[in-house]
Amino acid sequence: METMQPTLKRGRDVWDQINMPEAEFLERVRKIREEMQQKGMEVLLLYGNSLNEYGDPCYISNYVMKMPRGAMVVITRTGEVTLICEGFSRDLPEVKNTTWVENVISCENVSQRSVALLKGKNLIPSTLGLVGLERFMPYDQFQFFLKSTGSCNTIHADDMIREMRMIKSQREVDQIRRASRIVTRIFDKISHTPFSNINEKSLEAVMGREAYLEGAEDVRMLIAKPKEKNWTLRPLGDVPLSADDRVILYLAVEFERYWAEGMKTFVLERDSFKEAPVDIFNTLYSQIIQNMKLGERISQFYKETVAEIKATHVDAISDYCLGQGIGLSLQELPLLTEEETNPFREGMCLTLRLAVKNGGKGPRIIGNTIFLSKDGPEVLTQA
Amino acid sequence: MSDPNMKLQKVVGLINQKGLDGLIIYSRGNCFVLKPFYFYYFTEFRPMGPNSAVIISKSGDLLLLVEPPWDCIRASQKSWIRDVRGTSHFLKDLRETLGKFNMTGTVGIAGAGEMTYALYEGIRQEAAVELVDEIIEEIAKEKTEKELDVIRKTARIAEIGFKAFLKYARIGIREYELLAETEFAMRSAGADDIFNLMGSGSHNYAMHAPTDRRLAPGDVVIGEITPACEGQFIQLCRTVFLGKPGPVLKEKYSILVRALGESLKQVKSGNPAALISKTMNKIISESGYAKYCYPPYMRARGHGFGVGSIAPGAVIDDDTKVCLGRHQVVIVHPNQYFPETGYLACGETILVTDTGMERLSDTETRLYFNEG
Repeated sequence: METMQPTLKRGRDVWDQINMPEAEFLERVRKIREEMQQKGMEVLLLYGNSLNEYGDPCYISNYVMKMPRGAMVVITRTGEVTLICEGFSRDLPEVKNTTWVENVISCENVSQRSVALLKGKNLIPSTLGLVGLERFMPYDQFQFFLKSTGSCNTIHADDMIREMRMIKSQREVDQIRRASRIVTRIFDKISHTPFSNINEKSLEAVMGREAYLEGAEDVRMLIAKPKEKNWTLRPLGDVPLSADDRVILYLAVEFERYWAEGMKTFVLERDSFKEAPVDIFNTLYSQIIQNMKLGERISQFYKETVAEIKATHVDAISDYCLGQGIGLSLQELPLLTEEETNPFREGMCLTLRLAVKNGGKGPRIIGNTIFLSKDGPEVLTQA
Repeated sequence: MSDPNMKLQKVVGLINQKGLDGLIIYSRGNCFVLKPFYFYYFTEFRPMGPNSAVIISKSGDLLLLVEPPWDCIRASQKSWIRDVRGTSHFLKDLRETLGKFNMTGTVGIAGAGEMTYALYEGIRQEAAVELVDEIIEEIAKEKTEKELDVIRKTARIAEIGFKAFLKYARIGIREYELLAETEFAMRSAGADDIFNLMGSGSHNYAMHAPTDRRLAPGDVVIGEITPACEGQFIQLCRTVFLGKPGPVLKEKYSILVRALGESLKQVKSGNPAALISKTMNKIISESGYAKYCYPPYMRARGHGFGVGSIAPGAVIDDDTKVCLGRHQVVIVHPNQYFPETGYLACGETILVTDTGMERLSDTETRLYFNEG
């Protein structure tokens, strides 16, 4: 789901080495080097930029950009891994507290510094694997990179990392589980807290406080109020909430780099939020979850889901998509669409959203983070 | 922000003055405290991303293109631009619009620094490109009265944030809990974005995102308390000692207060911005810390804030060439590393005026402490 990007990731920033030990990263590097060998790559460069697109370099280094700046991880077939991040040299000690990578370099321009590193290691010319550079790097930096590495053979390696990130390790699932617990607790908190004279801004403040006190690194929220003309999901604003308001809340929480998201529909009754009553809509959603069977083609699942919604005589809202993978990014592979070529596989973590215009007494949206284990789908964002 | 019609009129004037067929103001949804947000300034709509643009022809045709498509409803409500379109095929729709608006000769782009290669090259296939951030800089350089109202409101929120910071900076609280409470206070008061950094310990080297660390007796707790409303940031740099501060800490902090006071005397529209830095560095150097006034210990002595322009710039140091201008909003911070005390935070956001400056916050600049 697209959300408003804050100016700074400002929550708890730690590297808990019990939750995510160095061995986990070293294993990823080992696998990548195996693939590099097979594909004839001498260097793999993984680039990320901004508060949404840090996933690829973070997957290797655990480093996350807290402001809209670039970072690059450089992996050679042997020798040390390098992390190059845009920022000030005085910030390096803090960066080093959250990564296992020893060779960390700060710079003003990650493209120029990466080229200098490659030159210093006599890797121009060589065969370079590129991840994220074309998709995310500012054009002027990418132009410079292309010009400087013109004598190199380049291989687009995005798919290689996407494939690895799509299937989560046990530790990654545990991190998403921790993020999911925060989502669950906050929804639970707001449905058990009396509010008086609340507006959207103060609700956002309450939810944000709870999330950050639980150790969230980043928090994203959206609201929709079907009573409004042309309603849609949007950031919370300086707008009153009144009794009998039907309120759809979207909440995503990042905990130690990993995201979970949930959506719930509430009704504001006097001074408290009550979850919309269980009805045919919930039954439909539960059925769709059960259809997420290991080995089943996602495109087939999508078609079956659309048919099932039609059969229930509710009108789906297609604006927000059915869902996708979630992990280091709020939006990663696989996509729950008709075009997706992957089947459901053990270890995937996904979001599943169902939005309808007439679920029960009115529009409803429900969304959860789901883990596909060998035993089937498990909803992580449920008490 | 300024009167929309005036903004459009000025932009169209500058487009024609530069001989352009039109202008694209682009955003990827990123908000960076040290960079202007041209798209937000012009449209008065803060986009989510991944791509949004406003396309303006030399004759004043105007289209706001928004991704994700469902966010175009909010865009229509927030922006003064009437022709708003949601898109799932950003480049295709952007190129079509360039054709429709006869923008196939030379187009200007503001905010191109955020564009990816595919997008930039995609536009270049349609028209020659000129980078013209200065068009927005020109119309945004002097804050309007409407902007100043928002800035003053944000300054009040910063003070509320500092009060919470001071209240919760107590022994035993974790860094991330302290900032959660500070943010809660500012959000509740109406902030719509926050840029808070901090540090704690007996000897700090820099500010950073909050960690698990619990505050302990004898800690120096430093914070950059920075709320934003409608893209206008205000910052307070503050230091709170946990316990009764000793004479060394008091003496070092008094150097900073003096450096701040003297440097603020140099602030006036038309004066060189570098005077702020030079004055500060002189006082701190004369106290015996010349080497600690420059990298790697110190970087900037201040910078501008704003939505459409952060003039006088992202860095005020001894080498800054530009002069201060009327109604610029500037953080002046003699934040300083001392070998005896570590890094200390001290800074105020001010408004540059024709006769001097206006301090935007009321809280006293001094060393704060919490005993017990």
